[in-house]
Amino acid sequence: MSTEGEQHPVNGLDDVVHQRVRLGILTVAHQARRVDFGFLRTALDLTAGNLNQHLAVLEKAGLIDIEKGYEGKRPRTWLSLTPAGDRALRDEVTQLKLLIHQIEQGGPTQER
Amino acid sequence: MTESSVPSPGDPHEVLAGLATLTRKVRAAQRGTWFPLLLFGVITLGAILVNRFTFSVHTTTCPAVPGSADNAGQICTETRQGSALYWTLGPALAYAATAIFYTRRSHNRGVGTPVRPYVLTGIGLVALEAAVFYWNTRHGLPSPGEKIDFLGLHLAPASGLAQFLQWLDGPAAAVGLPLLVLSYIERNRALLLFTLAYLAMELVTGLSHFKVGLMGIPFDSPWMSLPRLAVSGAFLLLGALGFALAQLPRQRHAS
Repeated sequence: MSTEGEQHPVNGLDDVVHQRVRLGILTVAHQARRVDFGFLRTALDLTAGNLNQHLAVLEKAGLIDIEKGYEGKRPRTWLSLTPAGDRALRDEVTQLKLLIHQIEQGGPTQER
Repeated sequence: MTESSVPSPGDPHEVLAGLATLTRKVRAAQRGTWFPLLLFGVITLGAILVNRFTFSVHTTTCPAVPGSADNAGQICTETRQGSALYWTLGPALAYAATAIFYTRRSHNRGVGTPVRPYVLTGIGLVALEAAVFYWNTRHGLPSPGEKIDFLGLHLAPASGLAQFLQWLDGPAAAVGLPLLVLSYIERNRALLLFTLAYLAMELVTGLSHFKVGLMGIPFDSPWMSLPRLAVSGAFLLLGALGFALAQLPRQRHAS
């Protein structure tokens, strides 16, 4: 049971980031620095429409930048993490690790 | 969950495992480990010809050994071969080519790749090799019987430490060090293991070469370094082939 002043790690999870598809998008974008729409769609096994919906949410939240352009005649859409997106992903992973630690310890942990 | 799915909606362990799987997938798309191994293999085999054409024999009067008159007035023969410039520029160019190859390949596959680690590592390696080159040029090769001055240590040329330092100042370091750094940048455990195996093999063949020569080729032959370099080059080329074959199923899966 949490004492006053302690925050349960679950409360530190951001709903925009924690959604599993969006978390996957942020992870891939973080590792790749810059990722193409097609690669993302294949890597996450999503339809174009579904992926577009999640990208719109992340872009609206200021977590990703989307850049549309052409390479020759081929249209390409690249996305990259904003600094806020990078921070959000790190926070999410930290909270997940805290949660795991708490579950393994069988009780609440002091948030650092 | 499959490799191409989103993180599992299960417990935090499963979510983090799913993220790790995605990270591995991106890294696989960014890598082309066979390419630097191929380049280093070609550079190593090319060194056989460089050594052949830079081979020279010098005769000098043997230096007097303190307390002994046995070798007074005798003629000593020393052989020189190899090019420090080759081992400075070769790996540096290979590293630059690898960075360009990775960047273009990643771009074609739809992912970016960090360039800064490659640039910083390349600069560091060139600086290191240039420092060794400068040190060698300034100090020159020791005359027969003369002790090697290494940072104030006066080492007998036949001593184990001197041979180990000579081993470091050669292909093993020029190829092994970049590969070690590459395995770290890429978080590539398979490449790390391969590089450690390469260094171990280089150590064994290198020290054997210093002590007895390899395959009976005498020390005064222009081809004296052929067996050692051929074994190293073949090892690197086989590694390139192995990594290329290992990456084929992933490429098919991605396409």
